[in-house]
Amino acid sequence: MNPSLDEAEAARRLRDTIAAQFGRSLHIRTLDTGSCAVCEQEIRLLSAPHYDLHRLGFFFTPAPRHADLLLVTGPMVRAFEVAARKTYEAMPGPKVVVATGACALGGVYPKDPFVHGDVGQVLPVDVWIPGCPPSPLALLHGLGVAVGRLAEKTPGLTFIADGGQG
Amino acid sequence: MPLWFIRGLRRGVVTTRYPARPDDSAARLPTPPAFRPGQLTREVADRLVAVCPGPALSRRDDTLVFDVGACTGCGRCAEAAPDAVASSGEFELATTSRSVLIKEIPIRGDEP
Repeated sequence: MNPSLDEAEAARRLRDTIAAQFGRSLHIRTLDTGSCAVCEQEIRLLSAPHYDLHRLGFFFTPAPRHADLLLVTGPMVRAFEVAARKTYEAMPGPKVVVATGACALGGVYPKDPFVHGDVGQVLPVDVWIPGCPPSPLALLHGLGVAVGRLAEKTPGLTFIADGGQG
Repeated sequence: MPLWFIRGLRRGVVTTRYPARPDDSAARLPTPPAFRPGQLTREVADRLVAVCPGPALSRRDDTLVFDVGACTGCGRCAEAAPDAVASSGEFELATTSRSVLIKEIPIRGDEP
């Protein structure tokens, strides 16, 4: 699918706007919608000395009112739906929603009376980060993609070894 | 000077330069599998679909549909068919579109 020139131009303008509005720092609010907490462990590792995400201008905030980016883990349990919507609404715009981990992407729990199955059922997701759990490096890449500073690689990956010949 | 500081210096433990430079630990991460279409037969594909604990793999005629987003990187498929499946080593998988995470792997092992 080739986006038309107008769409590409609009996307570029949006990216510039976000860069201008977020400036050089971006605040992250994490939201656990029923995850097993291993995603949270990896997220917490981001602020450890080895990964030190503050060097890139990312910070964690305890309040959605101060957040630019919502990092959502878990399969979105139905009991948490209202809280998730309220958190999203409490955030000032422009805001980015990042679904984190295989649960949030619909890979672990099927849709049933207890869970929605994936975060996209309730919140408008902008970036998807696969992994169970996504490593801190994968999270850093995802955050880079979310602010438009790192390029996506996934569309070009085939997951075919030997260039498809073997 | 605290001992852990000296020990860290001696072992060269420093903050990663990722994303400006690759990180050494990336090679040891569990990653989604990559497939060899020539080694994949319908029978092998069905076995992989059966062994996958989630909805990441399914077969549609001569295509193995692989949802990278649903993959937990558990490695059961690589264990079940080591000739056809191996770890891909890819971890930079974040994307703005959910649908690009669904990959189609051709099954070529049945061809004469």
